[in-house]
Amino acid sequence: MILLRIIIDALFLIGGFFALAGVVGVIRMPDSYCRMQASTNTATLGALGILAGTSLYGFFVLNSLAIGVKSIVIGLFILFSNPVASHAIARAAKRCGVYMLNKSGCDQYGRDNPQ
Amino acid sequence: MTGFNVELTITAAFYGLLCIALLYRVIKGPHAVDRVIAGDSIDSMTVVIMALFGALSNRAVYFDMALIVSLLGFISTVVISRYLEGRS
Amino acid sequence: MSGQRTLGFVSTFILCFITWIAFTLAFTVQEILGGLIVSFLVSLISSRFLIHEDPLYLFNPSRLLGALAYIPLFIRELVKANIDVAKRSLNPKLPINPGIVKVPTELKSEYGLAMLCNSITLTPGTISMDIVEEGGKNQIYIHWIDVQSKNPKEAGDMIKGSLESGVRRIWK
Repeated sequence: MILLRIIIDALFLIGGFFALAGVVGVIRMPDSYCRMQASTNTATLGALGILAGTSLYGFFVLNSLAIGVKSIVIGLFILFSNPVASHAIARAAKRCGVYMLNKSGCDQYGRDNPQ
Repeated sequence: MTGFNVELTITAAFYGLLCIALLYRVIKGPHAVDRVIAGDSIDSMTVVIMALFGALSNRAVYFDMALIVSLLGFISTVVISRYLEGRS
Repeated sequence: MSGQRTLGFVSTFILCFITWIAFTLAFTVQEILGGLIVSFLVSLISSRFLIHEDPLYLFNPSRLLGALAYIPLFIRELVKANIDVAKRSLNPKLPINPGIVKVPTELKSEYGLAMLCNSITLTPGTISMDIVEEGGKNQIYIHWIDVQSKNPKEAGDMIKGSLESGVRRIWK
């Protein structure tokens, strides 16, 4: 029981830490694409850590099959839907000419598809 | 008393504070794309808060609502980005 | 063609029904009957858009083993990239060097390309933006938060080296 509690607490801590990192990144980053990268951080390990924790909590502490299985289904759904959404936003941003910080001088999409 | 009420409550409150912090980017964001990104993050964090609250109150109904919220967030993000793409 | 369409319909139906069962978890007659009707209607509408190729392609022992072996590989890459981006965004100096690189890939099938692009987007630090076909090879445009190499081959090895070898064990 105490071991389970430690594992679940560790999963919650991991989720909280990566969510904090993602939010700080979204607020601090200088352009839209880098903000997108940081927001992926929130959606992957931030959300998946907490959902893994609630799934373990549902299975072993509450003895409720529904909560455990539904947590896993929500996690899988986030895992499948999040990349599609961020891919769509990235392409839309590049197509409508959002400012991109080009520090490395390497913009091969802009070179191949001039506006 | 079988639950871990303390951890669940603290984590949910922490996520709520992070959502409020992200509202800065929603209000200030220079372009619509920034607002969409911040809104998408807020959406996925709302899903997490709902899951935590469902585990706290031991009711599976909140998980159904969490799935629907995440579905609506995904659809609205894709629709807004299609709209922005067509506008240029 | 007609046979493949029926097969696609049946596999979409089974997928929808498994999702329904996992989400209701109530084994009464009316729940299961409702699930059957809803998944029939959904797969009637959406199977044309979901399944384009042979749906039974994955069900082959070596490919299933490859899919199982892909999960730990992907989780390792995910954790590594997450830690890297978290360090970057919490660092007071904000050490980023963003840019867009164009990377060639050997994959041909739709499912393989979709899986590779989703994996690249899910690992923080890289977002796949577009796919074009040039010179018989598919090229992916990737926004990279820390451009270490502008050479397409080298950048491809750095971004998706282990992921692509994992995906190629499953799809063509």
